[in-house]
Amino acid sequence: MNKTRGFFGECALQTLEVAPQVLRRRTRRDVLLFGAGAVAALAGGGSLLPQDTLTRLGLRRNLNSPGKEWLLNRAIRIDDDVAEALYSPGRTVPTYTKSQITPLKNNYNGATPDPGYIPGWHLTLDGLASGVSGAVDIRTLITRFSIHDQITRLVCVEGWSAIAWWAGLRFDDLIRAYPPISQAKWVRVESSVNLDASGNPDPYYVSIDLATARHPQTLLATFLNGQALTVEHGAPLRLLAPVKLGLKNVKAITKLTYVAEEPKDYWAERGYSRYDGI
Amino acid sequence: MSRSTNPGKEGASTSTLPEQPRVLVARRHHLLVRWSHWLNVPILLGLVLSGISIYWSSPIYQHKPDPRTGNFDVAADIGVWICAHMPGLHHYKNPPDWIYTHLSLGPGMLASALRLHWLCAYAFMLNGAVYVAGLIAGGGWRGLLPRRTDLFDALRMFHYYVGVPFAKLARRPWPHPSFNTKYNALQRTAYFSVPLAGGLSVATGWAVHKPMQFHWLAAIFGGFDTARVWHFWLMWVFILFVVPHVILVFVDGWDTFRGMITGWSSRVTPPEVQGQ
Repeated sequence: MNKTRGFFGECALQTLEVAPQVLRRRTRRDVLLFGAGAVAALAGGGSLLPQDTLTRLGLRRNLNSPGKEWLLNRAIRIDDDVAEALYSPGRTVPTYTKSQITPLKNNYNGATPDPGYIPGWHLTLDGLASGVSGAVDIRTLITRFSIHDQITRLVCVEGWSAIAWWAGLRFDDLIRAYPPISQAKWVRVESSVNLDASGNPDPYYVSIDLATARHPQTLLATFLNGQALTVEHGAPLRLLAPVKLGLKNVKAITKLTYVAEEPKDYWAERGYSRYDGI
Repeated sequence: MSRSTNPGKEGASTSTLPEQPRVLVARRHHLLVRWSHWLNVPILLGLVLSGISIYWSSPIYQHKPDPRTGNFDVAADIGVWICAHMPGLHHYKNPPDWIYTHLSLGPGMLASALRLHWLCAYAFMLNGAVYVAGLIAGGGWRGLLPRRTDLFDALRMFHYYVGVPFAKLARRPWPHPSFNTKYNALQRTAYFSVPLAGGLSVATGWAVHKPMQFHWLAAIFGGFDTARVWHFWLMWVFILFVVPHVILVFVDGWDTFRGMITGWSSRVTPPEVQGQ
């Protein structure tokens, strides 16, 4: 047994002889460094906590600083860059069967809009190669483009998810029919009918990179569970990008704008990440 | 954990200085292992606090909404129960938030919790790499590997711990089982399980964070929703490890605590088992 220690066997701990005063000096140095490190970690780590938490803990001073913002924003930018690097146009998300469908709640962040906007609805297209704005109504969209069924999972940033049966036209087909300007790298997806919690207009806008828009599973959905979309789910047209968090899946889209520079994003302005690839 | 202290060997020095016997110490933890060990404290604290704040936005454990309060979160129920039964908490202003105001960054702060969680998660992965590098460089990984005799030895250790209070009360000698390895079987199981839980936390974290690009990873853990449950309970592995870990270090004494700061221990393996 003793002889067959092998590669995985434990070796006796290495010993060394040291003069006691050397040992004492090194130990004192290490323990002092440890204490300083602990104090620094407490101060540094504590100051990284959100200001609301610090205020609740009884701290009056505002510890928000450009350095703190920079570090925390750096972390989400790195995470967004990782998400972008992971994206592959050829990789599709899992699809499910109708028996796996789960309930999908109305997740409007504010009040659900009054359906009065639906009859006069049309989709405005801007940033097109033709140089003019386009306006398309829902009948044109449904009849001119082929409609694809898709049962995929919608994942919310909050942590819940739902498997739903969607149908709609491929975003890529719309891009081919209405080509964007050649410099376009992004599309700003906007809903002007969005409301805040008290029912006041609160336009909702997100940034979608063109690679995601062109993904074969990115739909401009018009149907849910075989029925035309209801107002709760963004009638008459919503974005369904299963490679993005639910918050990018804009309901009741009113306008698409193709742009070269990354457009503003509703939730990125509220402290969330901006790429949101999942 | 051997208890013999070697008070130094031949002090045969040719110098003219007064003879100072040199002391024998054992190298116990590699520098990188020590650094990553201590860095884990703030990182894990940040991950747990921000993680419970993220949990708030969509609790895993829910029930049908209460018709009176509309509450559906089991963690909120626990907060209400604590405030109703703990002395001094009867006037707590928002009992359903008690868990979140005491064990997390707070309720309703998903955006800031996510930012902190990503920062700590990347730090945790880097720190894990430092730990593994330290285990390899110092050869410490061998001391963590499970052995065939672990089950029996763990029972011996368990028997020892159960007997300690009785032996103390009866003032009977109650010798610590002797092992010629760096860690006893219970320690080895714990110190092997925690890095494993760390790896699984990272894997389930990625499964929950990127359920489309890593859908195969989510599938390994039973799909997106089940991966969240894994991720939640893996947090409890750390919490349930830390409590006895800290208690036992205090019980075991200064040498063990100092060992993780300085790297050396005055508990040197008896020569007869060296090179086993």
